[in-house]
Amino acid sequence: MARSDFIYTDFLIVGGGAAGCMAAVRARELEPEIDVVILEKAEISRSGAAGRGMDALNNVVVPGIATVADYVEAVEIVADGVFEPTISRVIGERSFGILQRLEAWGLHFPRNDRGNYIVNQFHPKGRFLVEMRGELKKILAAQAIGCGARIFNRHPVLELVKQDERIAGAIALNLDCGELKTFVAPAVLLAAGGAARIGLPSTGYLHGTFDCPWCNGEAHKLGYEAGASLTGFEYTASSSMTRDFNGPGLSTFIRHGAWLINGLGERFMERYDAERLERAPSGIRMQAMREEINAGRGPVAFSFSHLPVKTIQLIEDGIFEAERPTMRDYFQRKGIDLKQQPVEVVASEVYLCGGHGLAGLVGDGWGETGVPGLFAAGDCLANPYGFLPGAMAMGEATAERIVDRSPARPAFGDAAPRLARLRASVEGHRRGALGVAVRDFEYKFRRLVNEYVAPPKSARKLQRFLDETEAMTREQDDLPAADAHGLMKVFEAKAGLFCARMAARASLFRTESRFGLYHERVDYPLQDDQNWKTRVLISRGPDGPILTRENP
Amino acid sequence: MNLCIDSDCCTGCGACVEHCPGHVLSMGSENRPCEKYPDDCWYCGVCAIECPAECITVIFPYLIR
Ligand SMILES: Cc1cc2nc3c(=O)[nH]c(=O)nc-3n(C[C@H](O)[C@H](O)[C@H](O)COP(=O)(O)OP(=O)(O)OC[C@H]3O[C@@H](n4cnc5c(N)ncnc54)[C@H](O)[C@@H]3O)c2cc1C
Ligand code: SF4
Ligand code: SF4
Repeated sequence: MARSDFIYTDFLIVGGGAAGCMAAVRARELEPEIDVVILEKAEISRSGAAGRGMDALNNVVVPGIATVADYVEAVEIVADGVFEPTISRVIGERSFGILQRLEAWGLHFPRNDRGNYIVNQFHPKGRFLVEMRGELKKILAAQAIGCGARIFNRHPVLELVKQDERIAGAIALNLDCGELKTFVAPAVLLAAGGAARIGLPSTGYLHGTFDCPWCNGEAHKLGYEAGASLTGFEYTASSSMTRDFNGPGLSTFIRHGAWLINGLGERFMERYDAERLERAPSGIRMQAMREEINAGRGPVAFSFSHLPVKTIQLIEDGIFEAERPTMRDYFQRKGIDLKQQPVEVVASEVYLCGGHGLAGLVGDGWGETGVPGLFAAGDCLANPYGFLPGAMAMGEATAERIVDRSPARPAFGDAAPRLARLRASVEGHRRGALGVAVRDFEYKFRRLVNEYVAPPKSARKLQRFLDETEAMTREQDDLPAADAHGLMKVFEAKAGLFCARMAARASLFRTESRFGLYHERVDYPLQDDQNWKTRVLISRGPDGPILTRENP
Repeated sequence: MNLCIDSDCCTGCGACVEHCPGHVLSMGSENRPCEKYPDDCWYCGVCAIECPAECITVIFPYLIR
């Protein structure tokens, strides 16, 4: 293997979403000589969760309205005490700078009558959510391209490369020609988003999920296999989403004061969390919804009729214009007018996400994992409820750390044997001896997630899931892939199954109930702060995953 | 099918294909886009927004309609 077969860079970014773009920009503005490569699965201008748009920065510490300490406290409440405050502090400290940066780049942050940012409450405590308008992702991508980073679109990463204990690069699939390409770098940032396709959605479509369906836990799997730890996988999140469509709106509705009502028209959150009502931590809100439906008082819905017309217009402007115009088409199709009718919501499928949940790679205040040179930012990093500002703040932090260290370019480490292994694996998929469509394979394990991993949980169900999917972990290597697109889908499905099995293991390990609905164990119905107010860490051992408590 | 593409107004510029974040679309016969992988669609509407001729409407698949 010749050196010319490889592409060398100083800083390799896996995923050109919110975190990846910001990391590239920050690195190049600090050190114009640094070579930065972004490997992006799609086309960077519209890729990822924010591809269409977003109507708010969900967590900004706006001076005069909140402090960093208030923000860290709010996250601690949402995470039910199971969190490590360093990253939340970093996000809190950087969040307003991120807003100012975006504003300077042309994002619009509407002002109220007094000329101030519109800041609302979504978290159980404190106001951190700033209204935003404009083409966020296009602007971020333009900055990433403009800063001189080399962008490889249509290049999903399938494998990481190491040199001894250090990270040394990654191998990506060129979707246009089907070739594998190796990138060698002393520093790699995983920024490939969350894990959306874990449970099966009620939309009936595998990609009809709440979270961005093209981010499916590949970063979590890549990081773990390289030696990084995972945490929060027992936090099997779901959200209250518009029936059938599963579209966004939740935080928009709640921050502007929409009520959750049951089929009898009652504002039922009063029964479950009289103080915080709809702003209760989401696991409690989801538990309340489930109780209402199980008691025969469903369906449940968001109601807006008590709100001033001006507020409803702001909601519509947010979700229909800034975030997802197809939501307007959907509402029109269903004849829903927010001023008059409630919007029925259902529980979304289970997803695993470090940026709007707790499930991600473990990193320090710079996003560095336990593997030297390997960083994570955004939804694949455990940055509890960091949302967009968290992704961009940790992208910035990572870049600063890497520029500061300016490590030498490595030799190509174990790239050659890894590439050979990957080529053999790709050949296996081209032969496809299993003869089962990847769609069926994915449907099967996600159906099993709904049956055995989604709450209410029990040791019996969780173990059943692990037993039932054991054979699938061997079969997956013979899944057929007719073309490069099919190969990408196979790797996405494998990552999804990996994450689902980690969720089952972590859920088995935490022998208590916590996080409202998300970790409701019928065999351990009580919360046990003495033993379990700590993160569960998963690391790779010689015989499989090792689960530990961070503070035993 | 998730989209309605008006082939009369389509100029074949390929912007929808390029920008679709899920690689759902591909250029088909007569230089017109087609939904090559309709199962992978998120109904995000990026294709419709990126189309300079405004000839794409997201109509949603049957279970969502
Ligand atoms: C419907 C919805 C609405 C939201 N609304 C808001 C909001 O209003 N405000 C807010 O603050 N937050 C919001 N969020 C959260 C926010 O969007 C995310 O936290 C944020 O986008 C995470 O950034 P990221 O860079 O980690 O992931 P993304 O922005 O999703 O980027 C990940 C990138 O990685 C790429 N990728 C995936 N796999 C690979 C691979 N194997 N190789 C290479 N590239 C890969 C993807 O194509 C994508 O471009 C919302 C999320 C959703 C799903
Ligand atoms: S709606 Fe979104 S996912 Fe579907 S084809 Fe258009 S751009 Fe692609
Ligand atoms: S963007 Fe519009 S005009 Fe261009 S190819 Fe697609 S449908 Fe046709």
